[in-house]
Amino acid sequence: MSETTVDRVARKTPARVARKVKGLSDRAIAWLFVGPTIFLLLTINIFPLIWTINLSFTNFKANRPNRAVEYIGLRNYERILGDSDIWLSMQATAHFLFWTLFFQVLIGFTLAWLINKKFKGNDLWTTIIVLPMMLSPAVVGNFWTFLYQPQIGLFNYVITFFTGADPSSFQMLGSVDLAPWSIVIVDTWMWTPFVMLICLAGLRSIPDYIYEAAEIDRASKLRQFFTITIPMVLPFLMLAVLFRGIENFKMFDLVVQLTGGGPGSTTEMASINLKREAFEKWRTGYSSAFAIILFVTVFGLASIYVKALNKVKER
Amino acid sequence: MAEVILEQLSKSFGKKHAVIDMSMTIDDGSFVVLLGPTGAGKTTTLRLISGLEKNDKGTISIDGRVVNNETPAQRDVAMVFQQYSLYPHLSVRENLSFPLRSPILKTSKADIVAKVAEVADILQISHKLDNRATELSGGEMQRVSIGRALVRDPAIYLMDEPLSSLDARLRADLRIELKRIHSELGATLLYVTHDQTEAMTMATHVGVLQEGRLVQFGTPREIYEAPASEYVASRLGSPRINLLPAELFNLSDGLTQTIGLRPEHVKFGEGQAASVKRIEHLGDHTRLHLDLNGHAITVLSPSGNPFSAGTSVNIQPLNPLCFDKDGQRIIRDSA
Repeated sequence: MSETTVDRVARKTPARVARKVKGLSDRAIAWLFVGPTIFLLLTINIFPLIWTINLSFTNFKANRPNRAVEYIGLRNYERILGDSDIWLSMQATAHFLFWTLFFQVLIGFTLAWLINKKFKGNDLWTTIIVLPMMLSPAVVGNFWTFLYQPQIGLFNYVITFFTGADPSSFQMLGSVDLAPWSIVIVDTWMWTPFVMLICLAGLRSIPDYIYEAAEIDRASKLRQFFTITIPMVLPFLMLAVLFRGIENFKMFDLVVQLTGGGPGSTTEMASINLKREAFEKWRTGYSSAFAIILFVTVFGLASIYVKALNKVKER
Repeated sequence: MAEVILEQLSKSFGKKHAVIDMSMTIDDGSFVVLLGPTGAGKTTTLRLISGLEKNDKGTISIDGRVVNNETPAQRDVAMVFQQYSLYPHLSVRENLSFPLRSPILKTSKADIVAKVAEVADILQISHKLDNRATELSGGEMQRVSIGRALVRDPAIYLMDEPLSSLDARLRADLRIELKRIHSELGATLLYVTHDQTEAMTMATHVGVLQEGRLVQFGTPREIYEAPASEYVASRLGSPRINLLPAELFNLSDGLTQTIGLRPEHVKFGEGQAASVKRIEHLGDHTRLHLDLNGHAITVLSPSGNPFSAGTSVNIQPLNPLCFDKDGQRIIRDSA
């Protein structure tokens, strides 16, 4: 009865092993367990980050490893901040980020609100709505290029069906005005279900009796929506925006599949520009500086946002 | 405040009949307690009156107006739920002022502040007004949820076992508090409980429910002294009424099957011999647990308690209640 699990394990430990761990403190054993994880994190996360910061102060080019590396101070940063191409790509990212979040929150919340109503088959509908999210971005990008095809694409056909315009009179991916919107549409199509799921979790977390209490307290449906539903779903909604925001800030795969940054550079977002600088122009030092700027931007925005999120949760 | 009348009210959920053919008049200013075990239809009755559930049959009228098709808001009722049902994202103050902020009421800001302060004072939660609802203890939460009903001046207060989750002391305090509120405000209250002490101490009228039916309605005294059936008799009284076969005391008259003996309805020194099994000293009174031919009987010992465990004592029923084979009480004229 007095024998514990620890005792049993201790008794079964082979003498050879036991001799080795004998005399180790609890703290030392804890380090033994945590050590491998810390090592992995350092080698694949922290070290590359530090190395990138280091490279960002140099004129290093990865395709010319034998050339002498010169430290050029902050010159890379100066050039980036003065580079109009970079600013255009940042604008493209901001446009994409704002509108995808706007539509995904709006449609995602509305869908969640509708699905949350008790009706027959809402589980089936949830599954159907969630499907796009389960596809690979490469596949989605690929088949949307077909859907956007002016002559045979379904998208143009549907638009002309409702507006009566000539299907080949506009090209979603080929037009300078429409291309930014075409990727907003695809990303919204693919990721709205994600926002919906999180909002749905939020809505389901509100117990019925709260609405019953509000009903008794003579709050109208509208007042219930604004004083109960919205405040109680808000933390969930903000979390969804955080996830989508970080994801879309570094959006790469869909855009490469759909427009490759074109036409011209209208859809060339920061991440695509970065890839071009780093692995087509091989300006390693320069692109390292750009990566650091992007990292700080995302990190800064996310930190401010998480603070706000915590404030909402504490209320 | 208003009078509430239920007429032949019925409600079923699928095959389960929760409330059957219930008729009851809750007078203006009365404190009615519905008593019954879990599943007797107490909560459903409250929800029907509040409008959270729609009745299948019958009518509900509040203040002379049939409200069958009205929403809870139109009915103007206040309800305290068994679970606290506070708005978790709001502070205590916001929770308390929520019902007053209803646009229908057009209460001025100053009035809201004053009313909330007053109610918080009554319920002793003034110091917690700025806490979030989720930062309170169970007792405090329930007081806030009672407070949310009290800030209003509704046609009727509906309370669904509001004290069941509180500790004994707080329960006793709030019992007195509710009784005081009732007499001071002249409020009409319908209160659901399975706790007979609450029923006895607070009610002006008690309704006893059995499987969805109202089996008896009357003052607590009537229910205690003249229960309609064995079921009702065993609902009120602590310790419970002793239900014994009539032959035990040779009281069989062909009709009486069972006799009900309240602990105080016993004469010592004559009749049948019973052995004393156990003695409970409760300070102000003493209980004897007796055994009479294999039947356990709990009685109130006479003052001074001359008995000790293991001895034998003769007992004789004093004004027993007689029940027929269906458990209905046999009412004798001028017994």
